[in-house]
Amino acid sequence: MKPKKKKPESSLKVRVTVVLGFFLVFFSAIFFRAFQLQVLDRDSLQHLAMKQHRKTINIQSKRGDIYDRNLKELAVSIEVDSVFAQSGKVENPREVSKALAPVLGMNMFELEKKLKTGTFVWLKRQVDLNEEQRKLVTSFEGVGIVKESRRFYPNRQLASNIIGFTGLDSNGLEGVERHYDNILKGSSVKIVGDKDAMGRMLLFEDLDKKVPVQSMVVELTIDKNIQYITEKALKKAVEDANAKGGTAIVMDPVTGEILAMASQPTFDPNDVKKFDASQWKNKSITDAFEPGSIFKLFLISAALEEGIVKIKDSIFCENGNYRVSDRVFHDHIGYGWLTVPLIMKYSSNIGSAKIGEKLGKAQLYRYVKAFGFGTKTGVDLPGEATGSFMHYSKWSNVTLHTVSFGQGVSATGVQLVTAMSAIANGGFIVKPYVVKSIKDSSGKVISESNPTIVRRIISEDTARKVTDMLIEVTKQGGTGTKAAIEGFDVAGKTGTAQKPDFKHGGYASGAYMASFMGYVPAKNPRLAILVSIDEPRGEYYGGLVSAPAFKEIAQESLSYLGVFPEKQDGMPKVQYIKNTIQPEPVNELEEAEVASPDPLRPMAIPDFTGKTVRAVLRMARERSFEVAVVGSGRAVSQKPAPGSSIPEKGPVVVTFQ
Amino acid sequence: MIDRRLFTYFDWATLTIVLALVLVGFASVYSATHIHMPGIYKKDIYWVIIGSVLMFTAIILNYGFLERSAYFIYGGSILILISVFFIGSSFSGAKRWISFGFFTLQPSELAKLALIIILAKYFSAKDAPQKGLELKDLAVPGLLMIIPFLLIAKQPDLGTGIILWMIFWSMAFMAKIRTRVIIGLGVVFGALAPIGWMFLKDYQKARLTSFLNPDADPLGSGYHIMQSKIAIGSGGVFGKGFMEGTQGKLMFLPEHHTDFIFAVLAEEWGLIGSMLVVGLFLSLILSGLNTANTAKDRFGFLLAFGISSMFFWQAAINLGMVSGVLPVVGVPLPFLSYGGSFLITSMIAAGLLLNIKMRRFIF
Repeated sequence: MKPKKKKPESSLKVRVTVVLGFFLVFFSAIFFRAFQLQVLDRDSLQHLAMKQHRKTINIQSKRGDIYDRNLKELAVSIEVDSVFAQSGKVENPREVSKALAPVLGMNMFELEKKLKTGTFVWLKRQVDLNEEQRKLVTSFEGVGIVKESRRFYPNRQLASNIIGFTGLDSNGLEGVERHYDNILKGSSVKIVGDKDAMGRMLLFEDLDKKVPVQSMVVELTIDKNIQYITEKALKKAVEDANAKGGTAIVMDPVTGEILAMASQPTFDPNDVKKFDASQWKNKSITDAFEPGSIFKLFLISAALEEGIVKIKDSIFCENGNYRVSDRVFHDHIGYGWLTVPLIMKYSSNIGSAKIGEKLGKAQLYRYVKAFGFGTKTGVDLPGEATGSFMHYSKWSNVTLHTVSFGQGVSATGVQLVTAMSAIANGGFIVKPYVVKSIKDSSGKVISESNPTIVRRIISEDTARKVTDMLIEVTKQGGTGTKAAIEGFDVAGKTGTAQKPDFKHGGYASGAYMASFMGYVPAKNPRLAILVSIDEPRGEYYGGLVSAPAFKEIAQESLSYLGVFPEKQDGMPKVQYIKNTIQPEPVNELEEAEVASPDPLRPMAIPDFTGKTVRAVLRMARERSFEVAVVGSGRAVSQKPAPGSSIPEKGPVVVTFQ
Repeated sequence: MIDRRLFTYFDWATLTIVLALVLVGFASVYSATHIHMPGIYKKDIYWVIIGSVLMFTAIILNYGFLERSAYFIYGGSILILISVFFIGSSFSGAKRWISFGFFTLQPSELAKLALIIILAKYFSAKDAPQKGLELKDLAVPGLLMIIPFLLIAKQPDLGTGIILWMIFWSMAFMAKIRTRVIIGLGVVFGALAPIGWMFLKDYQKARLTSFLNPDADPLGSGYHIMQSKIAIGSGGVFGKGFMEGTQGKLMFLPEHHTDFIFAVLAEEWGLIGSMLVVGLFLSLILSGLNTANTAKDRFGFLLAFGISSMFFWQAAINLGMVSGVLPVVGVPLPFLSYGGSFLITSMIAAGLLLNIKMRRFIF
């Protein structure tokens, strides 16, 4: 080896220094770049990264079950298997699809296509697999099973319009299922995973172990047996009358609990696709119609309450023809002089129109409003209609007359039953409801619905008088004799309304809504029932078409409830509501300001003494009359005096100091 | 041959740096591939073992042996490069490898070492004129570089080809070129660049320009750069943790275990980790310069400098490319990027540095 000694060279040092400097500059640039990316741009780049790979799937707990008031199953969730694939992990899609196609009942090619697409994919949801099939399915890499709940309605179409149904993802689409969807749905678990660049999913947790089990139990006020009775009677009535459809409601007039609610035609919630979407609706709630003569009982209640007419008063019924400005009103039989009870019994339009005239626009308007028309009842079901009822300032010359016998106003079935219940229970508007309680899976009560009084509208005395009149309706000579039940007093009212013609205006010829509405036993009411038959062919009077269905529902339900005829006189029969339930105060401050309504005349002018302006305005609004505020501070005087009727013209004047 | 003094002068610090880089490299490759390509990191274990053995050999053999057999080594490497065209195996459109059954060899990697050895031999044997090499003096060594360059560029393997150029000019510069030649060449290349640009195909142009504005086409030519920047940046200061990275593991980042391994590392170890690795490279290169400076002879000086410049250019180009400041030209990162021949070459080169260093006082 002949070592060559390195020659010391001055310019070599320069070159080495140049190279060293070059290297250092380059590395400094890299240091700076790393700092820029990892510190300055970190947030935006992290966000981009997350967007690329993070993926979340939602898994729901078992959906809550729905029961009737006696804990009979109405809607239950059964655990079924849903088969999914993480397609990227499937090694041989063709082989897998060949093996799985017969088990899942699917086309092999369709299955293979699914196995090749994207990331997480459902192969088949909600299938019934046996143990062996389950083993086969899970034996393939990338294919798995999750327990999902499928909705099952064991009673098929029974109460379907109330219960509603769910979609494939167990979300409530109609009825109670929809209104209480959040509660029934229960909790959900978000399963977070990463997906890779090919969209293949990697889950952080095991699917099976994470699915929540907690589910709620919803108990309805519906009684399965009464529901069955109601549906059967309604169906028969609709068929007998060759009608387009019909609705029926059975409510407890004292509590507002809805015991049954039926619509015809109806549907089977296990197989909703087979039925037209219009059949899914709960027409008692979603459809408003002109009530016709059944509306007269609200008019007469108001007139009696205000002392405009007395029981003994006779009204001349113009022998069946009564001209008001450009209209002529008719009764189907010409009557001369009729007492108020007979106007109700024979359902005289002219008599009613004349009572309406006496009562006046302002008073009729505020009573109809207070009975709850033109306002939603607040029933706990989706899609409630408001109905239409115009302010009296917009009425034509004849609206006062037509509203008196139920034209020019529209209402839903549930509004009508609620309003009538006020007469049945001694004067209280109660809030109708269908869900009694909600419990969790361990039986702990999560929420409970209690009867709620919305307002008091008439005195006990008026209610009793109107009830007596309504009992006459079902007695010999009345329009509702077919509703009479042996051994019971039945209070009721018929109604036959022409249906409006929405295309041409006015009323459609030959299209009627035939209704019967009533309560039994009249003096100790347990059931408030409305039956409406839509477009009956042939006979179309409510007394002929709907009253028999009312009777069937009432009779069978009373016997099922164990209510037996009790005809002894002299015993107090009406169990008044005020003893059992009290209105819930809005809040403590307001409680002090709400004067408990005078049981004798709840709609009369209350005593404002000592109230604030705000409280006075609210009380007036609740009773639909106008006040003129003079001064400010606390009320010191008012005109007219407390307990009197509202003035015929002009507002109630309240002076504050 | 084994002298006790060799131990005295052995550069343990540099060996530690090299082993640290190898270890970090293996960990990163493992993290990037353990889910989707477990075969890769398993093979990497064998490469590390083989590389270690060869590095040890490169340390203990006196590097004077390389000076004497420089032409044989060079000639051999050219022959293997030629044979790639006949018996080489193709992978994704490039014919770069010769398969030996259980492993494949990438001859272009070995050609880098062969070029450094032959250039060190050539420049050390030929005394440069006082003022430095003239243009005509560069003809022979230029030819020595051009032959393997053309063979490699034909495969094609642009990345390795560029490294050959950089090694050549670095070593020529260190051997001393006349200042006016340097200036002249700078002017000529500067003038030729726009003309050469016109001859490039559209996709080549796109590749060269996309690094300037990757957002313009994030799914096309800018995809590599965008994904790489996302991976590095999302690591932040402290990183997502070992094996916790998402962009590399989940295959959003292409070539995450080879050219873009640094992005995987930066994602998982953050700014701290990437600074540490960049720091290791800087230390290795500075230690290489120091080795060159203290080498006992001109051949050792040039050999050590050639190796240092190879490490420098590879690290600099790779890091620049991964962090989006240089075009994506396909240069892997020494010790970290997966690739058997590449790892072995780098480890042999590091072994030679240690070899030169420990013999600096032994004549």
